[in-house]
Amino acid sequence: MIAVVVLLLLLGVSLAVAAAGGQEVPVGAILALTAVFVVFFGAGVHVAAVLGLLGVLVGLVFSDRPWWDFAGQTLWGPSSNFVLVAVPLFLLMGDILLRAGLSDRLYRALNLWLNRLPGGLLHTNIASCAMFSAISGSSVATAATMGSVALPYFTGTGYSRRMVLGSLAAGGALGNLIPPGITFIVYGLITETSVGALYVAALLPGLLVTGLFVLVILAHGLARPTERPAPVPFALKLRALADLLPTLALMLLVLGSIYAGWATPTEAAALGAVGAAVFAAFEGKLSFRLLNASAEATARNTALLGLIVLAAYLLNYVLTTVNVPQTLAAFMADLPLPPWAVMACILALYLALGTFMEGFSMIITTVPVVFPIVTALGYDPIWFGVVVTMLVEIAQISPPDGTVMYVLQGMRRDGGPITDMFAGVLPFLAAYLVAVTLLMVFPELALWLPRAWG
Amino acid sequence: QMPTSLPPGPKVSIVSVTQPLPTQPQFTRVDMPYLRDMLRERSGGRIEGTVASHAERNLSGTELVRLVRSGQADIGASTLTTLSGDVPIMDGVDLAGLAPGIGTARRIADAMMPVVNRDLERFGTRLVIIYPFPAQVVFCRQPFASLADLRGRKVRTFGNSLVDLVNSLGAQPVSIGFPEVYSALERGVVDCAVTGTGSGVAARWPEVTTHISNLPVSWALAGYMVNINWWNRQDPQVRAFLEGTFKEMSDKLWELGDAATRDGIDCAIGKAEGCRIHTLAARPMTEVNGTDADRAQLREILEKTVLPGFVKRCGARCGEVFNQTVAPLARVRFGG
Amino acid sequence: MSGEGADLPALPRLAGALRRGVSALAAGMAYLAGWNYIACALFITADVLGRNLLGVSSAATVEVTGYMLAGGIAWALAHALTRGAHIRVDVWVNRLPLRLRAVLHLLALLLLGAFAFFCAWAAWSLVDESLLFDAHDNSALRVPLAVPQGVWFFGLAAFCLAVLVLAAEGASLLLVGRPAEVDRLLGPRTVDDEAAEALEAAAMAREAAEGRGPA
Ligand code: NA
Ligand code: NA
Repeated sequence: MIAVVVLLLLLGVSLAVAAAGGQEVPVGAILALTAVFVVFFGAGVHVAAVLGLLGVLVGLVFSDRPWWDFAGQTLWGPSSNFVLVAVPLFLLMGDILLRAGLSDRLYRALNLWLNRLPGGLLHTNIASCAMFSAISGSSVATAATMGSVALPYFTGTGYSRRMVLGSLAAGGALGNLIPPGITFIVYGLITETSVGALYVAALLPGLLVTGLFVLVILAHGLARPTERPAPVPFALKLRALADLLPTLALMLLVLGSIYAGWATPTEAAALGAVGAAVFAAFEGKLSFRLLNASAEATARNTALLGLIVLAAYLLNYVLTTVNVPQTLAAFMADLPLPPWAVMACILALYLALGTFMEGFSMIITTVPVVFPIVTALGYDPIWFGVVVTMLVEIAQISPPDGTVMYVLQGMRRDGGPITDMFAGVLPFLAAYLVAVTLLMVFPELALWLPRAWG
Repeated sequence: QMPTSLPPGPKVSIVSVTQPLPTQPQFTRVDMPYLRDMLRERSGGRIEGTVASHAERNLSGTELVRLVRSGQADIGASTLTTLSGDVPIMDGVDLAGLAPGIGTARRIADAMMPVVNRDLERFGTRLVIIYPFPAQVVFCRQPFASLADLRGRKVRTFGNSLVDLVNSLGAQPVSIGFPEVYSALERGVVDCAVTGTGSGVAARWPEVTTHISNLPVSWALAGYMVNINWWNRQDPQVRAFLEGTFKEMSDKLWELGDAATRDGIDCAIGKAEGCRIHTLAARPMTEVNGTDADRAQLREILEKTVLPGFVKRCGARCGEVFNQTVAPLARVRFGG
Repeated sequence: MSGEGADLPALPRLAGALRRGVSALAAGMAYLAGWNYIACALFITADVLGRNLLGVSSAATVEVTGYMLAGGIAWALAHALTRGAHIRVDVWVNRLPLRLRAVLHLLALLLLGAFAFFCAWAAWSLVDESLLFDAHDNSALRVPLAVPQGVWFFGLAAFCLAVLVLAAEGASLLLVGRPAEVDRLLGPRTVDDEAAEALEAAAMAREAAEGRGPA
């Protein structure tokens, strides 16, 4: 609901400004479309259908071009885009690691080290997600993999259900921010920025967000102490570190291959998937049954993301032919405001869109429009890439719509309502917003490392 | 030339989708002034033009014939090699090594335009301008003195005739999308890449490469197309007005292509007095002069590999067309 | 899903049988799509290794893996639908009374179908256009575009078919006054379904962990 209110407010402001500028604005039509949009979401229509049909409606109402004659090409473009191949490959890697039990080992090893802190197992959720994020470029894959490993550990414990789900969703939302990440690959593709530089720039912000999550859990743990498990002998703890080795090796493979100049960021995702299978084979876990199950899960999850991307591209194409982004960009650029205020407006727009939009389709629809404004305002493209990725991650965990939350909800066995997730994720969402604000105030958080790197 | 006025009449709105990026000089110095501002001013407000680049429309450039054919845009522009998947004859205008200088390139383009249009008209479109991007040259992250030095290196290329060329040089063609090339050069995924002098500078390649050749391997010729139905629907006065506009744009674009070629190199090598169109590289590159041996080798590869490869892709008819139209200008015949 | 429908009238029963047939087909296509991604990972890895160690590259990896992605997405759409995986915002719907909810489920499916048909129609026009142009890509393989686009279209068409049979079953159930079964068929997957699915992956993981023996 917040989203709708914010959107209507933005709409109101832009209408007022446009009217003042003497432009003719089809208020009725825009309001009707917004209403259709809201009703569709309320009635439980599929996200892809809402976006796609909205595109069709906008086209029929506003465009004087036979845009449908080009729709095949509009849909084929993103479907067959090499850069997006990274999506199924990261999903495949996560699924293989999960099914081969490698993520479970990661979780258990970290658990031995962390479970006596205030907040206990919840810290393990964040730490294991952060580690997994460093090999996987997908938030959905991170949440899906670590979620299915972690959830069974909480059955029959006194942990707050909401915090458990919230911490896993938040951990999943590190998947794109901590390099590697699909969002960076896509952002680099759209804006022609170096993905390598984006990865380096994201390191400190990634650690910052992780740190803030830890603080949230510490605060929760101190306010609601749980029973501390018995201490584990130090030798056992040390030996458990060996279980982190496969993850570290994959990290080296995926990121190392990029920095050593062997592979492009997209290709590195393929190396990661094959590397995961090789580790599974070392463990004697690689079987036809495992690969077959991973194939099915990857295909299903890619299809559900793919359908949304198709719809987002169609909507994007139609909006562009009727000049909506161009008008919006011109409007933003002409605002009689200082650059930081325009930037704040842009971030607010992203937050509003993010509450109900899928992060991935959001970046595809908005970055081509917003990027020229941002660079014209004098902001650094690398910095903005990191901020946009953080906003996309926020979108994935901001109610009512976020893939990461849906994936986790799909894994629960207690049959609780999704509102648990919505409530649990809020403190982490707040932490994420704090991080974005810090990055606004201290851009060096993102820019210092790439510069020092050379 | 572009008429200074247009008699009043019903309003005409023209949608143009032209260059790959909105920052390219072809876009800022030709498309915006002519297809948007001057059309409106000189037609007394009768013609209202909007201009967008491929990037703003989320297009890759290969689909421009289809875009114009389906009436999404009235005027569309893209490089001929990227369109050659849909219309193979287009490749024959701009084969690697075909035109050593920009004068020859223009004569070949003028001669081929009606020939290409015979094929394009089947798809409801027609070329109205062929124009050059800055000369396509080799950028490398390690020193080289001649084309022969590229042997064994990984070279990012696009388009079939460049792939044939790179293969014949004993180098390894790598296909990477333009946006990923910067990172690929930075990390050494590829050793070299071919693009226009100015385009490479605009994409900040001087930050990640050290040597730039001044030998044009091709020109990246591009063309503006119109939708024929739309064109025929226009009032004859409007058509005459637009024809004059295209004529003047064509001259401007060839001038720009020539100037931008040298300008791109000067910007890359840090020669501030020659760098007026693009931005000066912070880290100057070394200019590698093309040698006579290079030119001879390019010629030989054109004859033995590039041209036969084109005819194989395009069909025997293209070989005949080439011999009739291009051979007298380029002094290279298919089949000897 | 077992034992259901024994007391159902003929029409929904027939529609159910049809839907199960299409689901099986869709599942088969999805497995192919998934293995296609595995092939994709191997293909790219081979290209990276070949380029760095042997100095050879397919010079068509970018294009071919792009087609594999397009085919993979399209061929798994129907399966994702029959598994109820396509994302909906169903928080509000699930609080409505059963009868209304059943109607809304059907409405959502029909709207998804409308979008699916638009996509399939657009894909077919694209194939048709590529045939007219006799279009090829610019890779070393010069793949005729109608081939990968045709494969892509086939997946979208199967998706339309899946929507149709699912809608037919939903509509016939609604017609004979079984909103609860419509809810079960088209509504959010039940706790049991979800549990089964989440457990399957987790069980495989645990199996793997136990197979390792005591550490
Ligand atoms: Na990551
Ligand atoms: Na959201």
